[in-house]
Amino acid sequence: MSWRSGHIHTAIVSMRVNRWRSLLTMFGIIVGVASVIVIIGITQGVKNEITNQVNAYSKDVITITSTAGNSSSFGVSQVAAVSVLTNQDVRSVSKIKGVIASVPLEFLSGVAKGDKSYPSGLVIATTPQLPEVINQPLVLGAFFSPNDPNPFAAVLGYKASLGLFNQNVPPLGYGFTWHNQQFIVSGVLNRFKATPFSNNTLYNEAIFIPTAAMTQLSINSSGIYQILARVKHAKDLPVVAKKIETVLLANHGGQKNFSVLLPSQVAKSSTSVLNLLAALTIGIAVIALFVGGVGIMNVMLVSVTERMHEIGIRKAIGASNRQIMSQFLIEAATVSVAGGLIGIVLALLVDFGLKLATSLSPSISWKVIALGAVISMAIGIVFGSVPALRAAGKEPIEALRNE
Amino acid sequence: MSLIKLDDVSKLYGFGDATTLALDEANLSIEKGEFVAIMGPSGCGKSTLLNVMGLLDRPTHGTYKLQNRLVDRLSQNRAARLRRDTIGFIFQSYNLLPRLTVLENVALPLAYKGMGVTRRLKAASAILERVGMQNREYFYPYQLSGGQIQCAAIARALVNEPSIIIADEPTGNLDSAGSRLIMELLSEVHKMGNTVIFVTHNPELTRYATRVVYMRDGMIIQDESTSVGQVAKTAKARLYSRPKKSVEDDLAGVSLLMKTVPDKESSEPLPHRKKKTQTKRRPNTKAKVKGRLDT
Repeated sequence: MSWRSGHIHTAIVSMRVNRWRSLLTMFGIIVGVASVIVIIGITQGVKNEITNQVNAYSKDVITITSTAGNSSSFGVSQVAAVSVLTNQDVRSVSKIKGVIASVPLEFLSGVAKGDKSYPSGLVIATTPQLPEVINQPLVLGAFFSPNDPNPFAAVLGYKASLGLFNQNVPPLGYGFTWHNQQFIVSGVLNRFKATPFSNNTLYNEAIFIPTAAMTQLSINSSGIYQILARVKHAKDLPVVAKKIETVLLANHGGQKNFSVLLPSQVAKSSTSVLNLLAALTIGIAVIALFVGGVGIMNVMLVSVTERMHEIGIRKAIGASNRQIMSQFLIEAATVSVAGGLIGIVLALLVDFGLKLATSLSPSISWKVIALGAVISMAIGIVFGSVPALRAAGKEPIEALRNE
Repeated sequence: MSLIKLDDVSKLYGFGDATTLALDEANLSIEKGEFVAIMGPSGCGKSTLLNVMGLLDRPTHGTYKLQNRLVDRLSQNRAARLRRDTIGFIFQSYNLLPRLTVLENVALPLAYKGMGVTRRLKAASAILERVGMQNREYFYPYQLSGGQIQCAAIARALVNEPSIIIADEPTGNLDSAGSRLIMELLSEVHKMGNTVIFVTHNPELTRYATRVVYMRDGMIIQDESTSVGQVAKTAKARLYSRPKKSVEDDLAGVSLLMKTVPDKESSEPLPHRKKKTQTKRRPNTKAKVKGRLDT
């Protein structure tokens, strides 16, 4: 209907006339929309990175974890609990058809001392097949092998190599002590791209030693934390996972105290906490939006009262109730959509700032922007309807009497 | 068949003790093509009558037929549609929207009719040309004189080609030159076949009308036809000769007297009475003295 274009014009004029008032009215909407978009952007960005990483390093790797302790996806709490996975399980898994290699990961602790002391070190006992599974080349040297004359060889994660030795010297062949035992560095792993909530951050800081060495030192470990199994063809993943489950169930006497995770599930479990955080923050942003809506309602009610005489004139020259109503609805929607647009621009700026200042790389999709626009319009219409109805229902003569 | 027919129309405002009777069983029928002036002291219900006729207000009692259709109990929306299509309003305080240009103001009724922007602005422009305002189209109301604003308001009232023009003291805020301009315009509108109803306080303006209705206390007390160009008889009587005696002559001041008498008590009479008695007494005493002297 063509007269509506007149309403938009009127709305913009009245916004221009009451510039400050409109801006203050929009404030709640601006904050709400901007924060919703930023939070969704950050969450999506982190998720993307996790998925990318899963694809880069372990897109055909099945992860088997013990669920005897608890089911949290943060590894640390499970390190404390005694795992039910055994070396027997590792061997059974590697025999399954379709599995190229399977390795156990056992987490140990203790201060290692090379040129410098490295207290934050995490020591992972594993088997020589690890490089085949984690799809990451060594930047220096070679991974330890079963044929090594010295069983106390070690491979360092990128950060661990910096922490133990002076940076200008390649640490190959150097020694460090751990639990009173001299270890010789045989290789350094390439740097894993770090993301929150993933194993790869741990790998960068870890010192890898052979399981055999650990057994010889008779150190108490909490058992095998994870078994990683690499599958030949990525498309066989579900089938192989099923087989692994059957075999392990047999090994554990029918006790389902472990879980077999596909790469996608690993990503999902590490983002579940993220989702919860995002949901909470979005909840708060929704409150901001609600408050913004109430602000719009308040200002529109004032505006309707102020412009009662105008309403009277419009009615006298033939405006129907619906036309008056849509005039004020459009005005409310215009204010809130303008607020929404400012919020979107603000969110884009904040995301740009985050990209520059932090390691986060938020990703804002067009869908999210459209969502912001739709939300702001909906708020305008919902909260504008009460003032609009009030304006529309006024008797023309009463409205005209208001000066 | 009358264009407008009011039967025993009453309008009450307020309730309880504060009830005011703005219209008291008014009967009025107006034919198509009449130019009616409504006169009367302020507060006599002229504006209420106009508002009822213009469908801005609903009568409390009585029936109102517009174009032979019963309209006194129409819903807000149907009344709005009827207002839009058949009635053009002109107000004493112009009532143009201050934030719109003259052109946009005049085009507004067409917008409510659903006409496109280009077409309605064109139509508004044509009407403005007819009232001699074509070079003021893009002015805002505050940039114009009262007469010019009222011209624009007339253009707005005419833009929908309504059959009835209702004007509530259209010249009330204007000087005599402005008044003449507006009344000439209205009579031109009348000549084109429209029915014009207007309220005025100025008896001179009845020259333009074909019929004058006098009101008092919500009642229509007199209704006379008059020829165009002449001041209506009753209005003329009021204009050129002071009435010798009116209700006010009998009543005015009585309440004042009644208030002051008990205050001053009977022992102290009112000053002018005192004076009177003194002047009356004086010759008597003189006479007495004279008499004594004489005797």
